[in-house]
Amino acid sequence: MTKHKNIFVGGAISAAFIAEKIQAHQDKLNIGGHSIFLGQVRADDIDNKKVTAIEYTSYEELALEKMSEVREDAFNKYDLTCMHIYHSLGKVNAGEICLFVFTSSAHRKAAIDACEEVVERIKKELPIWGKELFEDDTYQWKENN
Amino acid sequence: MKVNVLIFGPLKDVTGTHVCQVIDVADTSEMVTKMNKMYPGLDKMKFLIAVEKEIVQGNTMLKDNYTVALLPPYSGG
Repeated sequence: MTKHKNIFVGGAISAAFIAEKIQAHQDKLNIGGHSIFLGQVRADDIDNKKVTAIEYTSYEELALEKMSEVREDAFNKYDLTCMHIYHSLGKVNAGEICLFVFTSSAHRKAAIDACEEVVERIKKELPIWGKELFEDDTYQWKENN
Repeated sequence: MKVNVLIFGPLKDVTGTHVCQVIDVADTSEMVTKMNKMYPGLDKMKFLIAVEKEIVQGNTMLKDNYTVALLPPYSGG
């Protein structure tokens, strides 16, 4: 069985964690540009109720398998130096980060294009579900557009 | 023969469980028919089916102890 790289983090992704990951690239001198996408939980107003958090669940085994495919496709298509992906599981409060996509390349275009494509594919192809929790303890299942 | 079914996202609200076992079904179509009887309301839900972590289109043969997953539309990120 192939070992797939884990992308899941329990709860929100902290700014300190993101900073650490950026710092860790300072000795990679062939990199000329990074592209970072941060997904943040939005306090949407739905029927006069405010979203206070999203609770994420996933079919983890399949999601990690799919993520490996997306990763491999991105490396084949773009001239990337490296790529790091983190997605939250469990509860993430409004205003906190739930997705962190980090691509690096010698020249900016590859990193920017790959980052965008990978974000789109994560949202479309990974079996992850978000449950929007409201302030009055009710919820609804999120739908991606 | 039996298959293990994993149930995710909004489908779990309908079934009330994350896992179940379905017995004596030869293919995914029979399995869904049986599950629709077990869980009223499931027939109104939209989902893809993965058999042994492979998303399948159309009716698919099942074997004993297979893991089948019901995957409603994704909403990650």
